[in-house]
Amino acid sequence: MEYLAHYGPSLCVKFHGDLVYAANGPFLHCYNYHTGELKRRCRIFHRNKIHGICIGKDGGLLLYGGNSVLIADLQDVNERTCLMEREKSVNGWIISGEFSYSGDQVYLLTSYNKVIICDKFGRFMMNKSLREEKSILYSGSITVYSQDKVYINAGTVMGGILLWDLYAEKMVHNLKGHEGSIFFVTESADGRYVASCSDDRSIRLWDLRTGELLSVGWGHTARIWNLKFFDSGNRIVSVSEDCTCRVWEICQRGNNIDLIQQNIYEVHLTKNVWGVDVDSTGRKVVTTGNDGRIKITNLGDQLGTEEEQKCYTVEEIFDRTNVPLEKGEIIKGFEWFDFGLVAITSTGKIFLLSSTKDSWIYLTKNDKFSSYSITHGVPDENVIVFANNRGDLLLLKFSDDGERIVAKTEYHCSNLSKTTNCLIRKDSSSALLVLLESPNPRDHLVCLKFSLSTLTHLDTYHFTKPANFVSTCIDVHQNFLLIGSRFSTLAVYDLTATASMPYVIRNLNPGDTTTSIKHVEDQGSSSLFSVTNRDGYYNIIKVNLTQDASHRIIHSNKIVRGFLEGADFDDRGDFITFGFKSSLFYVYNETACYEVFSHICGGAHRQWKLSQDSKSYTLVYIKASDIYIKRFKKAATRETLFAGIHGREIRDITVQKHRKFNDGFLFCTASEDTTMKLMHIEPKSGRLTNYWTQRKHVSGLQRCQFINETLMISCSAREELFLWEIDAQAECSRPYMTLRQTLPTSSGNPDLRIMDFDVKFDSKGENFIMATVYSDSAIKLWLYNHKENSFSLILSGHYKTCCLLNVLLEVLRDQLYLITSPTDGHLVYYNISNQIPFKIDVDDNSLTFGDLKLCESELPEFDCKLQVHQSGIKTIDSVMKTNGDLVIFTGGDDNALGITVASVNKSTAKICARVADFQEKAAASTITSCNLICNATKLLTTSVDQTLRLWSVTEEKLVLIDSSYTTIADTGSSDCVSIDESTNLALVGGVGLSVVQLS
Amino acid sequence: MGKSSKDKRDLYYRKAKEQGYRARSAFKLLQLNDEFHFLDDPSLKRVVDLCAAPGSWSQVLSRKLFQDERATADRKIVAVDLQTMSPIDHVTTLQADITHPRTLARILELFGDQKADFVCSDGAPDVTGLHDLDEYVQQQLIMSALQLAACILKPGGTFVAKIFRGRDIDMLYSQMGYLFDRVTCAKPRSSRGTSLEAFIVCQQYNPPSGWQPRLDLDQSVQEFFQGCFRGSDSPDVGPWHETPRDIAPFMACGSLDSFDSDATYHGQDLQGDSDVPRRSLDPVQQPTNPPYKQALELKRKGKLTRAV
Repeated sequence: MEYLAHYGPSLCVKFHGDLVYAANGPFLHCYNYHTGELKRRCRIFHRNKIHGICIGKDGGLLLYGGNSVLIADLQDVNERTCLMEREKSVNGWIISGEFSYSGDQVYLLTSYNKVIICDKFGRFMMNKSLREEKSILYSGSITVYSQDKVYINAGTVMGGILLWDLYAEKMVHNLKGHEGSIFFVTESADGRYVASCSDDRSIRLWDLRTGELLSVGWGHTARIWNLKFFDSGNRIVSVSEDCTCRVWEICQRGNNIDLIQQNIYEVHLTKNVWGVDVDSTGRKVVTTGNDGRIKITNLGDQLGTEEEQKCYTVEEIFDRTNVPLEKGEIIKGFEWFDFGLVAITSTGKIFLLSSTKDSWIYLTKNDKFSSYSITHGVPDENVIVFANNRGDLLLLKFSDDGERIVAKTEYHCSNLSKTTNCLIRKDSSSALLVLLESPNPRDHLVCLKFSLSTLTHLDTYHFTKPANFVSTCIDVHQNFLLIGSRFSTLAVYDLTATASMPYVIRNLNPGDTTTSIKHVEDQGSSSLFSVTNRDGYYNIIKVNLTQDASHRIIHSNKIVRGFLEGADFDDRGDFITFGFKSSLFYVYNETACYEVFSHICGGAHRQWKLSQDSKSYTLVYIKASDIYIKRFKKAATRETLFAGIHGREIRDITVQKHRKFNDGFLFCTASEDTTMKLMHIEPKSGRLTNYWTQRKHVSGLQRCQFINETLMISCSAREELFLWEIDAQAECSRPYMTLRQTLPTSSGNPDLRIMDFDVKFDSKGENFIMATVYSDSAIKLWLYNHKENSFSLILSGHYKTCCLLNVLLEVLRDQLYLITSPTDGHLVYYNISNQIPFKIDVDDNSLTFGDLKLCESELPEFDCKLQVHQSGIKTIDSVMKTNGDLVIFTGGDDNALGITVASVNKSTAKICARVADFQEKAAASTITSCNLICNATKLLTTSVDQTLRLWSVTEEKLVLIDSSYTTIADTGSSDCVSIDESTNLALVGGVGLSVVQLS
Repeated sequence: MGKSSKDKRDLYYRKAKEQGYRARSAFKLLQLNDEFHFLDDPSLKRVVDLCAAPGSWSQVLSRKLFQDERATADRKIVAVDLQTMSPIDHVTTLQADITHPRTLARILELFGDQKADFVCSDGAPDVTGLHDLDEYVQQQLIMSALQLAACILKPGGTFVAKIFRGRDIDMLYSQMGYLFDRVTCAKPRSSRGTSLEAFIVCQQYNPPSGWQPRLDLDQSVQEFFQGCFRGSDSPDVGPWHETPRDIAPFMACGSLDSFDSDATYHGQDLQGDSDVPRRSLDPVQQPTNPPYKQALELKRKGKLTRAV
């Protein structure tokens, strides 16, 4: 067994020049944060995770975690990939470590408030402690002021903070005031302050000299795990279980010192940010979390010397341009350009703001656009379009610096009596399409084409408007115009055949407004478009625009929360969404699952526009008649050095073994965090690529499994079982996945879990039957009809009242058996051949579905029931022997591994099962998964003792041949795929993911 | 255990309320006893319940040891916890630190300087989510309980404690093996299969000869067990080495007919079961004040939001 990679909780992180050192289980990773390149990966410890990193002044490196410590130089990490042989064990759990002032000694604070001092070679020198204060600590830190002034900050479970002088072994302060265990305590480097946090979710700032409490900071909504002073001790950054990182300012107001929350950044997924560091300029924060993500956040003042937010009142604009303001005059529309902003008022006055000069210029007034106007722009062409409700258009093109108007067109569209909407889109041939819509449903949609260079009118198209259609957004691809509407509807028009009726796609989603359509890529003769819906859904639709137009949804998902106003793939191929959630405007990286930025603008019910160029996003909005311009510089460096996986346990993993994708394999993870991720693994390096995070499930997942080349099933509580279709075409830049069907539910009980399922396809490989087992002991059998895309219940019953954990569908001697394993440790065999309306082929055990008369029947009595384990069978795998016997491998909560052989007794036609082998102490803890590999000659098991064991299977006996520790805690799932004849790749999931090569 | 709890799916939760237990964990001790019968021993006299709050194990001990009036004359139960505990019949509750020598002295005083037959601990620390740290802290809690047990148990006595079956559980099994003749990992059916929780049942207390356990505030847990566990007398800093590990036999406790804590029960399952009334029951013990009470109040008032 060789570990190719581990992905999982990262507990600590450190900036050092251009580099970021981050812990990853027992490995130390070193990244260049400018390029995002992983430069070094070095194994540090045998078993322990790295909990702390210290870098000494002279390049000394101190790493600790659990009872392990390693003292080395940064140079060693550059030269070596493994330093395990230098690992030292300490008598106690190390809470904190630090180099001495001179750098030739190391202090290690252990959980019993004892400090071990050793030299650079890890040789013990002396112990220091505080008499009769051996209380157990969750946290602590060491502040080195000089060679002989060292303060220990010990955060106890019950007794507050013990702040003591190391060499004097004397208490300096016992800081009391927090409720509950202290989770972090640290001193500012200048010796002014102590900051601490505890189970009470507050941050407390103390005067180090007097021990007086200065201020209490509230804000985090869960436990706070780490604090760091920066900006010469004037600011603090905190990270928490609530996934946020917050910046606090220490403000002096007269005699009072207050801790004021300055900013909040949502940085990690689901649960727990563990590590934090700030770079030497105080402008970048790096955080690491339970999701394994390494996230770089740029703090405030993001445009350097430029102000990041501007606000102009209407009065100010008129004042600065010496134009008289009319009563009730307000800003009606605007567009942001490189040179600045162009805006129109409710009397038709047009103003220009030069962003470089911060000056407003009055351009012109056009009475046609008073009282009603719609404004749109093409920022990269410096073109702005104004429309009114009488079919008038005003088009202006500016020079690059915004100083001159280089083209101007006024156009009147006489075909429509009234226009209520105007949408524009630049088409590929550097022409501009302007779509006008009248409120009259019988009126045509009018599309005007203008040259983008001269703004001359080139062409006019008339399109029939579909029923119930109110246009909201447009896109142009080749000669096709796609128009989005309210009610989640879309119409596709051919610009070369305007007389033909549009191809209309209705009810893509529950029914809100389509907010954006964007061409993604082409796939053969089809084109893919991303379509967003205001209620948060987004789809990728595959549209075939040839004669017989057709479409298929190939991807469907919903954003975490809030309104979705638009989305597009960026240069890196990441899907970027934006919209509103409560009072915030957000831009979110949907692929890597992090917020790019957010801004409190007051919510969705206002006029706003987002524009972007390669360097920045600009959000312009009106709030209380004032115009606000908020600019966000796009990060010049990568915002995630590793995007991370799930923030909680991976409950199941399934690899698409039927076919490869991009020289590797697609796989899906099902997590306790209720999401599934569709990812790719490169088998040689173990490198992961995350494509999608599916949020359809609303409860923690139980299982997921690819059932053929394109279909996958997942299940969880609330009786959720979803059939997914994966569209993975080699020519496409990424796979897509969409929900194909949902299994009918029987009750509203939120706790009723579908624990497992198994399927058996018919001989054609299209329709299948599926067995589902439930936490209330229910057993059901379903028929999936491919053509009708429907599930029908054909059999149901209960085992007893206990929870069922696994199910298998197997054919033994032309009889179909459903085999389940309840929490009582039995294997229970049901012969369901007579209850199902299929023929079972004697020769190849396949099922043939004829003309089915479906009826729901009762689960028959079980054929056979055999106790194999003392308690729950957690995992099951099986193989059919050539003699027709079924061999079932089971792993249990009782630490045991069993082999059960089942065969059909020829005289009674009943199942006979016997336990062929039973390894009582197959693991030190619950066995959670098992996988047969190498033609069922080997079995890989995972267990909660964090050990992978490889067993050989010979003559129905198990022999342990290899075992290996994994840093992934709560080890709970695995899947294997064969790479070549002698090599298998295993993915092991728990709190994190291990990639193991088995040769 | 409040009036409405996330544990609602669990019938043991309802059963506990119905039978007047302060927590569903009472059934875990009852089911352990179904298998090991340590509380059915007529010669059982002196029992210590460590980390006892809110007191459901003490309730079980009280009911088991005092169900037969004749046998109760010299039976004594002492329950210790740092937190306050409401009184329980036949149980002396001590609000004290189990690592303090004074606590040991007070228990011995209550026992008339005689040693205990049975020591148990259902204690667990608050989990942080760092699995290795949580497992370490739990093992330290067990070791703290074991320190006291080592000082107070009579030879042949029994020690039962809650464990998390994580990556280093085999280390704990090995260490317990130096002090007890029989070490078993027991999982009651009332403990969820999805939880790492189990119980270590250590029988036949038989410490190494010549080892003198002595509680001292200036001594760490490691120092306490020096000379007892092999490998525990390791230096403050030394080369990394593999620690002795051992797998204890597993024992599922509670009959197969008992409620399954992993199962979902519906309303109709409970009809006709006189044990389980379908009305809402008040909790036996009101929930304690969490340390983050003030934070919850601020959140309720909308003071903890994304807006700054």
